[in-house]
Amino acid sequence: MHTGHYISGSGHLLLLAWLAFGDVFAAEPLPFEMTEVSVISGAEYAALVAAGQSPESVTEIAQPSSPEITQDAPEVDVAPDTETETTPPEAAQTPDVETPPDVSQITPLPPRAEVSDAAPVLPQPPADVAVDVPDVADQAVPQAVDRVAPEAVAQPDPEALPDPVEQDAVSQEETGTQEQDPALATAPEAAATEIVTEADEPARTLNSSPRPPTRPTPPQTAAATAPEAPAAPPEAPTTQDTPRDALADALAEASSAPAVPSGPPLSAGEKEALRVAVSSCWNVGSLSTDALGTTVVVTVSMAQDGKPVTGSIRMASSSGGNDTAARQAFEAARRAIIRCGARGFDLPAEKYGQWQEIEMTFNPERMRVK
Amino acid sequence: MRLTGKIVLLVAGLALAACTNPGRFDESAGGAGGAGGALGGGPIVPGSANDPTSTAYFNQTVGDRVLFAVDRSDVTAEGQSVLNGQATWLLNNTGFTAVIEGHADEQGTREYNVALGARRANSVREYLISRGVAGNRLRTVSYGKERPIEICSNEACYAKNRRAVTVLAGGLSG
Amino acid sequence: MRFQIFILCLLMMVVVLPVGRVTAQDGGPLRIEITEGVIEPLPFALPVFEAETADAGNLAAQISQVVAADLLGTGLFREIPANAFIGGVSSFAAPVQYADWKAINAQALITGAASVQGGQLNVKFRLYDVFSGAEMGSGLQFTGTPDGWRRMAHKVADAVYSRITGEGAYFDSRVVYVAETGPKDARQKRLAVMDYDGANVQYLTGSDSIVLAPRFSPDGRRVLYTSYETGFPRIYVLDIASVQRRALESQEGTMSFAPRFAPDGERIVFSLSQGGNTDIYAMNVAGGQAVRLTSAPSIETAPSFSPDGTQIVFESDRSGSQQLYIMPATGGEARRISFGPGRYGTPVWSPRGDLVAFTKQNSGRFHIGVMRTDGAEERLLTASFLDEGPTWAPNGRVIMFTRETQGAGGRSSLYSVDITGRNLRPVRTPEGGSDPSWSPLQE
Repeated sequence: MHTGHYISGSGHLLLLAWLAFGDVFAAEPLPFEMTEVSVISGAEYAALVAAGQSPESVTEIAQPSSPEITQDAPEVDVAPDTETETTPPEAAQTPDVETPPDVSQITPLPPRAEVSDAAPVLPQPPADVAVDVPDVADQAVPQAVDRVAPEAVAQPDPEALPDPVEQDAVSQEETGTQEQDPALATAPEAAATEIVTEADEPARTLNSSPRPPTRPTPPQTAAATAPEAPAAPPEAPTTQDTPRDALADALAEASSAPAVPSGPPLSAGEKEALRVAVSSCWNVGSLSTDALGTTVVVTVSMAQDGKPVTGSIRMASSSGGNDTAARQAFEAARRAIIRCGARGFDLPAEKYGQWQEIEMTFNPERMRVK
Repeated sequence: MRLTGKIVLLVAGLALAACTNPGRFDESAGGAGGAGGALGGGPIVPGSANDPTSTAYFNQTVGDRVLFAVDRSDVTAEGQSVLNGQATWLLNNTGFTAVIEGHADEQGTREYNVALGARRANSVREYLISRGVAGNRLRTVSYGKERPIEICSNEACYAKNRRAVTVLAGGLSG
Repeated sequence: MRFQIFILCLLMMVVVLPVGRVTAQDGGPLRIEITEGVIEPLPFALPVFEAETADAGNLAAQISQVVAADLLGTGLFREIPANAFIGGVSSFAAPVQYADWKAINAQALITGAASVQGGQLNVKFRLYDVFSGAEMGSGLQFTGTPDGWRRMAHKVADAVYSRITGEGAYFDSRVVYVAETGPKDARQKRLAVMDYDGANVQYLTGSDSIVLAPRFSPDGRRVLYTSYETGFPRIYVLDIASVQRRALESQEGTMSFAPRFAPDGERIVFSLSQGGNTDIYAMNVAGGQAVRLTSAPSIETAPSFSPDGTQIVFESDRSGSQQLYIMPATGGEARRISFGPGRYGTPVWSPRGDLVAFTKQNSGRFHIGVMRTDGAEERLLTASFLDEGPTWAPNGRVIMFTRETQGAGGRSSLYSVDITGRNLRPVRTPEGGSDPSWSPLQE
């Protein structure tokens, strides 16, 4: 009897909801994210089950890993400390006068006096220049300030690979880093492994994939890889680093500001390339757990050479966290855009009008360890 | 008043402490020498295990311990026959009191194992009481997993560690 | 009628949808959604702190090391080696050359200085966000006696950590634990307290009797623990500064253990075994009558208060196996929160209030895990032969616990792990260690 009403009613509700939010959905595939979550929890179950299956192997892994860790944190200072304190062991009586004093003295004092503001931070331009000059000299490439800086680095220290390769450097380091390894090794079958793997996986995938497209360009002239000076954003045109950029410049100049080539909408592949490029610099590793639960929508204006205008990066909205968390999440998003945009994103110049303004939603839901 | 109470406790504690040096837990059922020593002041015939009134006899011949299944505290049939012997001995040697120690193997969290050991010790105590031993002669304590006698990490050792040990102490006077 | 509306809606939908698409693509900005990022340590540069007075040289270097070690220990940061620096920092007061630091991809720059004057050590620092080209927060300075340099270093690191990650601080904290020596069957245990990073170990009791599970008071000045010094487990409260201890009153013929302070520092909860049955009781640490909170024939133990003091999470085998339950702080009906396979014990409420850490035993292995207080989102962080007894860092982001290795040579030691399950690492102690309890942040 009523079934018809129910069906009709729920159908209407669905429709109304669709009407109300359909547009939003179309723009931001949030609902899909929700699906993924449930999938993950399923995986977790699988992990739990797996835990039951292969128990013993892990112990062996676990033990070897700990020595490594120990190496890792080898400050000499602690040992002596411990020793010193160790001496008064049995003494359940002597409270070791040392410790309490510390507390009391620090306690009153930590009144955090602001360090005198003597050193105001004005110096962006001078600083850059100062540094750059020598670098430039080295290279004998008279160029814009921005560009030179990174180059200088690459040479002096191969180890701390500068911007262009930073992803690389990190991922290499990661494999060698004790903290990560033990986690992989020691926290085995159960959810633990799953967690780590999950967290690591995207990082690796992303690390490798985005590089190919961007890389070919810079290697040519070492100087090419210029990180964007946050201070001087739109000024980017100076860049002749790469052929592509040069082209873009040429185009830009030719058509000048008013006539913005709009072209057809970006293809799925072009959008995906941008997404991957930003992803590879979006480091959520140091975010608080609150910030990891916060989605931020960030807007940025783009220069015609594919570089983001640093000063234009704004947080349009946030959801899921308090102000602090949102600010943290925004900072990470901002860094991602600046760092990976330093060389210019690989966007089709003829469609500039399509990507002059970009709205990026950074949703860390999947980066949270489940 | 509270002070005197404390003093009494302290004295009692010290007396007991003499019985609780960690090494004692090393002895398996066979160790007898130490037990005699622990009773230092007692009026015991420096008896061998042949002396049926000696603690050595109790520990070795009667059997001072019963074992338990994993996470269980019910006395097994085998355990009952040991406890029957203990009850008989205690009824014949009324000068002794006993502390029943409950233990667990290492497969469990610390707090839970203390509680589990308490259950085991209590099972033994109640069984002995049911065989006629006066309750005021029997105290219980649990060591949880703190004092294993076997230290390998497999069932052969675990089985021996899941135990309740009846430890004789001086006369009622104490 | 309704059907018609239905149809109408359908039609409208068909019309509206494409329009929506077009506008999204055409007029507005290009929209993309980023859901995959990378998880990697944030690179920071920490030039050795400047020694502003000649005799501060050593301290400046040592402080720099401790600050760096604190940050690295979180697993959230990576230090850029000094030999990669381009310009360095000429003096604490000099303006920062951002380009130099950006070039080596330092995202955070920490500069500092130390001086000793009139027997007082002064430590100051500034933190810069290199890519923004601006200082993060304002510079701070700490003053104290030179022998308190480690605490000052921890305070610097705490400020840096909090400003960058948004998490609460935790480096300037201590851990009380059980120091262990000897083989499994004759293990000697005594209470010890140390800085969170294993420095400054100080022993609080002798090793002539078994001690278990020390727990800090909310002000970090006292410790509750269980000792067998009378031959039976009893609860003691110990003042850390004076190392004076006092046994709490207990009933003859009972055993009491697993104590823990309430957030008010006045009440405590603990387990009491009587006649083989273990239940949870509460009493005032100052003395008085113990109040029974549970009365079941099963084992109820390991109670832990919620940070607001209104609830208690504990373990019970009333269902037939160890599981976690939450009840009001005054006792009463308990609700079970653990439902996965295996057994759950030693629950500890997080200082943030949102999570419960626990020990899980399943298929012959032990895990440290966390779940929400309604039991949702259970997450195992570790796995080994024997992990147990979690304790929370003051900021609720890190967990320390006991790991015991297998076999006759088995040894107990302390480990810490991030609640994301990453960054598992041992905590160095002079000998074996177990049952850690993390203090609140020192003031």
